[in-house]
Amino acid sequence: MTGPGFDDSWTIWLSLFAIALVTTLPRASFIVLGSRVPLPPRIQRALRYAPAAALAAVVAPDLLVANDVVSLLNPRLGAGLVVLAVASRWRNPFLPFIAGMGSLWALQYLA
Amino acid sequence: MPFLNRLPLTAEFRAGARAGFRAFLPQSIGLIPWGMVTGVAMVGSGLTPIEAMGMNVLVFSGTAQLGTLPLIAAGAPLWLIIATALALNLRFLIFSAGIAGNFQQLRMPARWGVGYLLVDGVFAICLEPMRRNPDPQWRLGHYLAPSLWAWAVWQLCALTGILFAGAIPGSWSLEFMATIALLALLLPMAGTRPMLVAALTGGAVAVALHGLPLRLGLLVAMVAGILSGFAAERQHSPVAGS
Repeated sequence: MTGPGFDDSWTIWLSLFAIALVTTLPRASFIVLGSRVPLPPRIQRALRYAPAAALAAVVAPDLLVANDVVSLLNPRLGAGLVVLAVASRWRNPFLPFIAGMGSLWALQYLA
Repeated sequence: MPFLNRLPLTAEFRAGARAGFRAFLPQSIGLIPWGMVTGVAMVGSGLTPIEAMGMNVLVFSGTAQLGTLPLIAAGAPLWLIIATALALNLRFLIFSAGIAGNFQQLRMPARWGVGYLLVDGVFAICLEPMRRNPDPQWRLGHYLAPSLWAWAVWQLCALTGILFAGAIPGSWSLEFMATIALLALLLPMAGTRPMLVAALTGGAVAVALHGLPLRLGLLVAMVAGILSGFAAERQHSPVAGS
């Protein structure tokens, strides 16, 4: 995930402003419009599933796809599983990063 | 925040600010690793320090920043980056609707400022105390003090991460910090069955369709994840409450 796409600074700033816009608009929405109309429960539930679905969709290919091929034996997947195990067992916010990077480096060295 | 100068800082405002700050302070410790990791991940994904700091100030959301970095780095089309950021941020609509009633006395620029500052942790500690206290000045103080504190901590920690990452060789795979952060964000979300189904479906579809051009598979995966969450919820309990 390094390299291509980053040579054009103008494109990057455009992306950053676009992301900022679609982040600030939902945040400010009801506060600015001043509407007290409650969101229908059905919509509220759909909105709750969106971040989980989106995060998983972004992160899963990072773990499972290496060089455009689905691969179950790659250091990133191993390190990702370590992160999930550590984060579900302990509350310390630093630990997943230490364990994740440590196991990634170890597995890359072994591979 | 220039609008602060125009507000008379009444005793009620200060009392609210103290209460809000005290309530949020322990939680704000958790922002420290997140801010630093986001800083490292932005540089690790190829942003220059200026671009990284610009993103940090403009977007001011760990989830939106970390979630879109892999797409920016892969050169994904703008509309897909926007769609992903939107999916990551739709929860803010719920927060905004929940807290909006407290800020009706403010003028438009101040409301935009209040909206820009809205983050999950502050929303969580503010909602109940602000519902109970009838004084609008107290409520404003209770919201602004922890919000501005969160903003300052976030910017400072990200800056630390950005400067730190610049001193590290690229062979250390620091972009993986973003993946770790996303996994740690995802884990508590997947606590209920429908949320878990939404996440698993989203992930599986994204992997299955990774070969589609323009990363179109990501969009299909997000929609499939949301729909499967709905389906799982209906199967689990027909009268699904909140």
